[in-house]
Amino acid sequence: MNEEKTRIEDINRAFYDFRFDDRDAYKVQSGLTQEIVEQISREKKDPDWMREFRLRSLDIFHRTDMPDWGPSIEGLDMRNIVTYVRPNTERMHTRWEDVPEDIKSTFERLGIPQSERTSLAGVGAQYDSELVYHNVREEVAAQGVIYTDLESALHGEYADMIREHFMKLVPPTDHKFAALHGAVWSGGSFVYVPAGASVEIPLQSYFRLNAAGAGQFEHTLIIVEEGAYLHFIEGCSAPKYNVANLHAGCVELYVGKNATLRYSTIENWSKNMYNLNTKRAKVEAGGKIEWVSGSFGSHVSYLYPMSVLNGDGARSEFTGVTFAGAGQNLDTGCKAVHNAPNTTSYVNTRSISKDGGVSTFRSAVVVNPQAVNSKSAVSCQSLMLDAKSRSDTIPAMDIRTSQADIGHEARIGRISDDAVFYLMSRGLSEEDARALIVSGFAENVSKELPLEYAVEMNNLIRIEMKGAIG
Amino acid sequence: MTDRQTITVNRPLANTFGWLHVNGTRVEAPESTRALPLTLAAGEERTVLTEGADASLEISAELAEGAVLRLIQVRRSGGPAQEINHVRVRCADRARFEWYRIVLGGASTLDDCSVTLEGRESAFEAEIAYRLGGEERLDMNCEAIHLGRRTRSEILASGVLREKAFKLLRGTIDLRTGCAGAVGNEMEDVLLVDDTVRNQSVPVILCSEEDVEGNHGATIGRLDESLVFYLASRGMSPEEIDRMMAQAKMDAVLRKIPDAAIREALLEETRA
Repeated sequence: MNEEKTRIEDINRAFYDFRFDDRDAYKVQSGLTQEIVEQISREKKDPDWMREFRLRSLDIFHRTDMPDWGPSIEGLDMRNIVTYVRPNTERMHTRWEDVPEDIKSTFERLGIPQSERTSLAGVGAQYDSELVYHNVREEVAAQGVIYTDLESALHGEYADMIREHFMKLVPPTDHKFAALHGAVWSGGSFVYVPAGASVEIPLQSYFRLNAAGAGQFEHTLIIVEEGAYLHFIEGCSAPKYNVANLHAGCVELYVGKNATLRYSTIENWSKNMYNLNTKRAKVEAGGKIEWVSGSFGSHVSYLYPMSVLNGDGARSEFTGVTFAGAGQNLDTGCKAVHNAPNTTSYVNTRSISKDGGVSTFRSAVVVNPQAVNSKSAVSCQSLMLDAKSRSDTIPAMDIRTSQADIGHEARIGRISDDAVFYLMSRGLSEEDARALIVSGFAENVSKELPLEYAVEMNNLIRIEMKGAIG
Repeated sequence: MTDRQTITVNRPLANTFGWLHVNGTRVEAPESTRALPLTLAAGEERTVLTEGADASLEISAELAEGAVLRLIQVRRSGGPAQEINHVRVRCADRARFEWYRIVLGGASTLDDCSVTLEGRESAFEAEIAYRLGGEERLDMNCEAIHLGRRTRSEILASGVLREKAFKLLRGTIDLRTGCAGAVGNEMEDVLLVDDTVRNQSVPVILCSEEDVEGNHGATIGRLDESLVFYLASRGMSPEEIDRMMAQAKMDAVLRKIPDAAIREALLEETRA
């Protein structure tokens, strides 16, 4: 009998791999020196405190060791990374028509303006190191919601607020790449949602890295005041090059009393990308942070969104899916720190490994002594699609009070024969049954996204089954 | 005696975040380290009891085809201030290693048990029970390395922490390429009695084989409120409920000890 093993295709990346010639207006030399950091600071017209902050961060970067506990990042040589690339446009635009043609074409192919018209309250688009477009709907702005690029905010009426919050949740001393971010950050969004405001439809920032050998270091700062609601979506992609690219962004989220922030990410960087991103949220009493995370791209990822539950009754939910294919080593997960009574954290993740891909789920739950009556539940499931791949689960729990309920469960396995048998007994072919199980495996994330993005994510996965079942 | 001056116990098998500080501990090997090599012939069954008279013990066992080693290790508060316990076992085809680790106290206990399941259908069963109070510390590593086909590991840990006790358990199921059909399970159940205890758990599954199954689960915290309410409604005081449930956790493990004399002695001792 001619048999062919069930085959699940890689994510089809052709859609994202187009690129335009590197016609940037300005870029610094590759490498990382004090001169380069000062040059970036001059370009950005930083206030004095920010210039000093950058230099202090650079000093911390040089004094901090590389992480010794995750995937290898030996292929990343900072001497070859260009830390600042200004695209060929003089300023940020608020009218789509004004964005330069090749940049506009990039985002149109990614469907950004179309999404803005149909399903978003506002859009920010970053190309290499700078925001090129930012817009927010009038009715949202009328609620007092601010959605702008971080640099404009740094020089405008929110300057003091930025100074008060910038890199306070993720200090440059946090790890080596947080220090790097502090030294060379550029671009990113600032969102302020005043007390009681509810942004019913999402805001989105899309980050596109076009230049070969470049780094992107955008900073996202979101402040959601008491009782407010916001859904923020972040998308990332880049064309594939033969040299290493680096993404060391930073996301700081401040969730006020009884406020809710949903932060969704669909990450599809190219497979030459080192994605060393840091995300952290601080949640006050009664507030809630909801992370929805899809990790599909990158050569190497270190990504662990962290929730610091600081107020009584604060909650966090993390829902994630990671798909590691050939040449990818994706180390993802999350952390939850319970710092107050009656706090709750819930983690639900899926990971899929195939074609030699490595996926690692790494989590930490810390319940401090004051966090009495706290609850935490962590569930992670991993699917191995072949014996060339690897899937690891490394959770840690540190519990310092008896008045807590902590549950953890994890499972690694392959597609269940029983499930296939059941579906076949309902009339599906074995091939269809396996395809259904694999696509359903990632449903925990897709069902949490707005419909348009769930469809996009399903397209992104493009799981195909073919051949007879062996 | 060992000629090493420093040994690493509880080395991290897969590092967690640096900030959680759960890395390996390096300690000086006491002069009195006792090496206990065990070799079991094909089909041989043996039960070994160690009761913690040594500050440092190294057990290395080779189990031939179909051999069964039952290692029962008891640590008591009256023993040395620090006890270092290394266990290394290799299992051939259909060999089985059963490890019963009972920690009833002790200022500092460092355990490192690593079992390599080389042979087909070889098995490792770990039954761990601990009861710590005061400022006692237990730092434990338990690792099952699956190399052979259809190998099986079960790591079950159950314990009670009171006062300022500290416990760290790293349980690792390592499913390596070639161990098709292997199954690894790990389950931990920790009862925290006082607000000043500290519990760390790092249940790891490493997997590089497709046709395997790895599961772990952990339940950490106080007694279920509905259970406490039910028992209180039957006239038990909170202290009696705590004592009874803590004893139940020890009993669940002790009852599995196959040697009747050892089992009954330990049951009697823990209830005293």
